[in-house]
Amino acid sequence: MDSGSTQSLTFYDFLDRMRNPTSLDLVRSIKSFIVSFSFYVANPENDGKRVQEFLLTMESAIRDHPLWAGASEEEIDCAVEGLEKYVMTKLFSRTFASSPEDTKIDRDISEKIHLLQNFLRPEHLDIPLVLQNEASWLLAEKELQKINAFKAPREKLLCILNCCRVINNLLLNTSMTENRVLAGADDFLPVLIYANPPQLHSNLKFIQLYRRQAKLVSEVAYYFTNLVSAKSFIADLDSKSLSIDEIEFQESMQAARLASKETQIEPPPSPALDEIAALAGQMDPVPSTRMHDNITGGSNYPFMEADAGELTVGDVERLLSLYKDVVTKYASLCRAVKHLSISKTESPVPVLKENKAELKMPEGRSKNVDHSRGE
Amino acid sequence: MGCSSSLPDRSSGRLSGLNADGAGATDAKNLRVKLVLLGDSGVGKSCIVLRFVRGQFDPTSKVTVGASFLSQTIALQDSTTVKFEIWDTAGQERYAALAPLYYRGAAVAVVVYDITSPESFTKAQYWVKELQKHGSPDIVMALVGNKADLHENREVPVQDGIDYAEKNGMFFIETSAKTADNINQLFEEIAKRLPRPTTS
Repeated sequence: MDSGSTQSLTFYDFLDRMRNPTSLDLVRSIKSFIVSFSFYVANPENDGKRVQEFLLTMESAIRDHPLWAGASEEEIDCAVEGLEKYVMTKLFSRTFASSPEDTKIDRDISEKIHLLQNFLRPEHLDIPLVLQNEASWLLAEKELQKINAFKAPREKLLCILNCCRVINNLLLNTSMTENRVLAGADDFLPVLIYANPPQLHSNLKFIQLYRRQAKLVSEVAYYFTNLVSAKSFIADLDSKSLSIDEIEFQESMQAARLASKETQIEPPPSPALDEIAALAGQMDPVPSTRMHDNITGGSNYPFMEADAGELTVGDVERLLSLYKDVVTKYASLCRAVKHLSISKTESPVPVLKENKAELKMPEGRSKNVDHSRGE
Repeated sequence: MGCSSSLPDRSSGRLSGLNADGAGATDAKNLRVKLVLLGDSGVGKSCIVLRFVRGQFDPTSKVTVGASFLSQTIALQDSTTVKFEIWDTAGQERYAALAPLYYRGAAVAVVVYDITSPESFTKAQYWVKELQKHGSPDIVMALVGNKADLHENREVPVQDGIDYAEKNGMFFIETSAKTADNINQLFEEIAKRLPRPTTS
């Protein structure tokens, strides 16, 4: 039952039985149920309830149906699994990420993950070095990212379980080869948080609402909850959630925002000095209006040629303000130059990817920027 | 860390299939309960469970050993069985806000501290208050002082645990996941305290 091929066999078995003339009554119920959805305005909670009730009703109808006379529990179960898949595939476009709020939450989380990927390292979640296994993490992430290739809640859920299985195996193997104490959830959750999938919110909500409730229990519910919890952690994540200095966090987020803006607007290969200054102004939280003055104009800095003896007390105010101006410009310039070099290395040109992995993730894994976008 | 010997079988690191479970089937004779583990990082939550599952490990039974979800069935003297589905939680402070996702709907909460760490005892009290406020009203709670084998480093007196548990209507026990001391007693005692379905 676990493997995809057996599952698709049972799905075809379900479709086969539905073609049998004796199942005409079932087919009618299913069709009219699906059509009935077009009479109502989409409402995730209501839709979820209606689907759950329908599946329960149909389960008892199947149980009493001549076509399943003498069938085992397992066969009945397979039929209902097939039904769930059929109904939800038909209703997918209406039920998945259908409300603007959900789409917005998806986008917000996605954006946040994208920003975090610019600087987040396993150390920020105190993930021990022995667990920083690039190959396993990529595999786990890949499993999770298959989630958008499926429309049936069961299959989406299976992607989550497969991802968790990879992480579990990593933890178990590490505990054996490194003779490390198996730390359970203390180790599991941080690694899972690191494997972030696209459209996380909508996928989880979809599974929660449309997976047969009787199937979202026990171990499956546990791993599902872990992913809900990872999502919630990322959504609420701030500097206090990480082992990172508050200022460093803010600066890194700011830099990441700038870097992602830069990759979107395709900056010229070698920016001129005034462009750097403009950039600096853009990222300065309180940009100085004087920032766009001509930096090289000597007349703006009248004390350049002055001797200490010529200065009077009256000059102090002007000197101080010029000093502040210069320092502000210098600091902004430094940051701008740093960010430009980051955005260059982060550019999604494939040739640079290897390069980036080496630059940004000396010990962790390389994060694939394109994946996280999740469109 | 006291349970390095409690490693599970290499072959058993798999998740059960989606259809493996008996769909919440509980009757008067066979209970299935969700048990959530709470406690500071490093107090040995997972070790206790691994010891519990491994201690009664039967190679013929299909026990799933994951890193953080485990289940184990015990038989009681009155010929009933209780299947514990054990939900481990990440104990690090940064995940504290996520705990409600895990203890929602739990029939049992086991709050663990380390007898050599007063901070972990304080944290345990925080979890007890949290559960009293937001857990199911009829949740069975156990307070567990782990690492009892390290008595020469003890910093939390037994009496403190007993008193706190009594005040809060909890079952109290000190365990050692390392020596397996009191591990089975912990789960047996919990099983006895579970409310039984009235229809039987």
